[in-house]
Amino acid sequence: MTKILVINAGSSSLKYQLYDMKDESVLAKGRVERIGMDASIIVHQPKGREDLHAVEEILDHTTAVRIVLQKLTDPVHGVIGSINEINAVGHRIVHGGEKLTKSMLINDEVKQEIRRLFDLAPLHNPAHLMGIMAMEANLPDVPQAVVFDTAFHSTMPPMCYLYPIPKVLYRKHMVRRYGFHGTSHQYVSEQAAKFLNKPLESLKIITCHIGNGASVTAIKDGKSFDTSMGMTPLEGLMMGTRSGDLDPAIVPYAMAKEELTINEVNSMLNKHSGLMAISGLSSDMREITEAMDTDPNAKLAFDMFEYRLRKYIGSYAAALNGVDVIVFTAGIGENSVVLRKQVCENLTYLGVKLDEERNAVRSSEVRRISADDSRVEVLVIPTNEELMIARDTYRLLREKEAQGQ
Amino acid sequence: MRFKKIGVIGGGTMGRSIAEMLSQKGLEVYLVEKSEEQLEHAFQMLEISLDKQIEKWAITTAEKKLILSRIHKISDKSMLKDVDMVIEAVTEDMDIKKEVFIELDRVTKPDVILASNTSALSLTEIASVVKDPGRVIGLHFIHPVSRIDLVEIVRGLRTSEETYEQAKYFVESVIQKKGIMVFESPGFVTTRLICILINEALHTLQEGVASAEDIDSAMRIGYDFRYGPLEMCDRFGLDSVLAAMERMFREYGDLKFRPSVLLKKMVRAGRLGVKTGEGFFKYDRDGDRIS
Repeated sequence: MTKILVINAGSSSLKYQLYDMKDESVLAKGRVERIGMDASIIVHQPKGREDLHAVEEILDHTTAVRIVLQKLTDPVHGVIGSINEINAVGHRIVHGGEKLTKSMLINDEVKQEIRRLFDLAPLHNPAHLMGIMAMEANLPDVPQAVVFDTAFHSTMPPMCYLYPIPKVLYRKHMVRRYGFHGTSHQYVSEQAAKFLNKPLESLKIITCHIGNGASVTAIKDGKSFDTSMGMTPLEGLMMGTRSGDLDPAIVPYAMAKEELTINEVNSMLNKHSGLMAISGLSSDMREITEAMDTDPNAKLAFDMFEYRLRKYIGSYAAALNGVDVIVFTAGIGENSVVLRKQVCENLTYLGVKLDEERNAVRSSEVRRISADDSRVEVLVIPTNEELMIARDTYRLLREKEAQGQ
Repeated sequence: MRFKKIGVIGGGTMGRSIAEMLSQKGLEVYLVEKSEEQLEHAFQMLEISLDKQIEKWAITTAEKKLILSRIHKISDKSMLKDVDMVIEAVTEDMDIKKEVFIELDRVTKPDVILASNTSALSLTEIASVVKDPGRVIGLHFIHPVSRIDLVEIVRGLRTSEETYEQAKYFVESVIQKKGIMVFESPGFVTTRLICILINEALHTLQEGVASAEDIDSAMRIGYDFRYGPLEMCDRFGLDSVLAAMERMFREYGDLKFRPSVLLKKMVRAGRLGVKTGEGFFKYDRDGDRIS
């Protein structure tokens, strides 16, 4: 009873990983893209064997799930003998709102709540629900769990989650800060405590999840105290194509001056801002870093990105009244040597002392990049949201079984 | 009900705008024009329109490519045999529309909805040339279709309940616009009300009550209109407004639909609005107002 399938369903895509929780190993992973079109793409990667690429017509998520199950049980490319070997399915859900604050097994109420949150996560929750329905149709007797990106941040106090605007908006329309990337922030904070061999509750941690989307979390007593993303993933840090924090008065001003609709201004802030807007070159940090010696706009984009991240770290040090550990994770956080360097070199007042050699090492292991005499531990920890989802699902499965006995 | 592939007949202003919106919603569009040249022209205009959307940050260059890749150029209607619905947007001329529907009736699957984007013609009459008139319905979109989330779902005398329900589902769930149900009547709701307003603005101008600029300001600022009635007239095309007024005047026989003399005079002078660069105001090639 140890095989867990982790699903991340998007509106036209489906990513999956099959875990064996005996040793937390990945048996296979893959993805289906372009669901709903004539030529959908399937990439299936069984462990220790050759990848399988296929193109088929997959018109909906139910068919996509069926194909995934076929690949997992395929005599040549498969990793399990039959679908009966899958003991549980874990789904990644972006928005759990105020009510869904921890991982749980799916029932009708949970599904209804996920549906109720469509307004708050219009790009994600509808797709997740399609993934759940598709799984139920294919594996009706297998327990399914949901793990929320927002759940870890549900411990934020009202002081941190409310916006200083009329409270009726909170009561009527759920306008408050929820935070995202929670699974990742939680995972790397736990890993950090393990690596340092100290109890998680004893540490003041600032975790920086810097990928395509980016957020920083202040962690106290092992719990999220504050995080930089708010009601939507637009708040906080400057990102690849997202603006992050700005003066809210800019929105109506730009709408009036440029005659923009709500959709247009949303699209401007989410897809046409950030690194892309300032560099005029790319939303990809690697390209920005490569170009910044010769291109002043790329340099400016990098500097703004770094400065805005550093300001958040500074403000979260104030929020926590000090900091013991700073963690970098996700695509940019794990790989950008130069970004980490520039951030850390300007945090010496906090007691951060970077070891440049350690920082320059490229590795997929948890590692320390601060000097031995640094007052603040600075760590790079590869995130693994899928594993967290598998772990939670596995735990819920065992609890259910214990209850059943 | 499955709506994935939609045929759009006509690559004029409305046809293009509908095709662009459908593709933006993720649907596969089969855009039909009479000749390769007209298709090419329609595509060039589509690109310009998408570029303008990029300028407004509405879409990204990657999204533009995706949108164009989902619009397929068709010059032979027999290629519509697999579509899930057809939306016709050819010239507002009954004879031309009838010809199109006769052909659509022949090439499409018999259970597919045939919709017309007509703004004032009789759907019952259009449907009369189709074997099963129950599958003909009106879907009246408003320009620019990507920005305006309203569709008049027009029931002809013989439109079936099932066709109406499916069309409503398509409008509200697939392309996510507000659908209002309209029973066939000249000008439906939108054209009837807005043309009367424009015509009254023309009378007001003609009587020297206020200048064109001030009439538009009054409605724009006073009643929160996006454009004043005269600029609206320029944007619709003065000839189109005149045609709609004349049709309604004929159909209803009511004096309130009589087109203003000023409108007729300007159409005769070829000052048709945005498309000729001048109507009540002046415009550049992109359709932005200069004065």
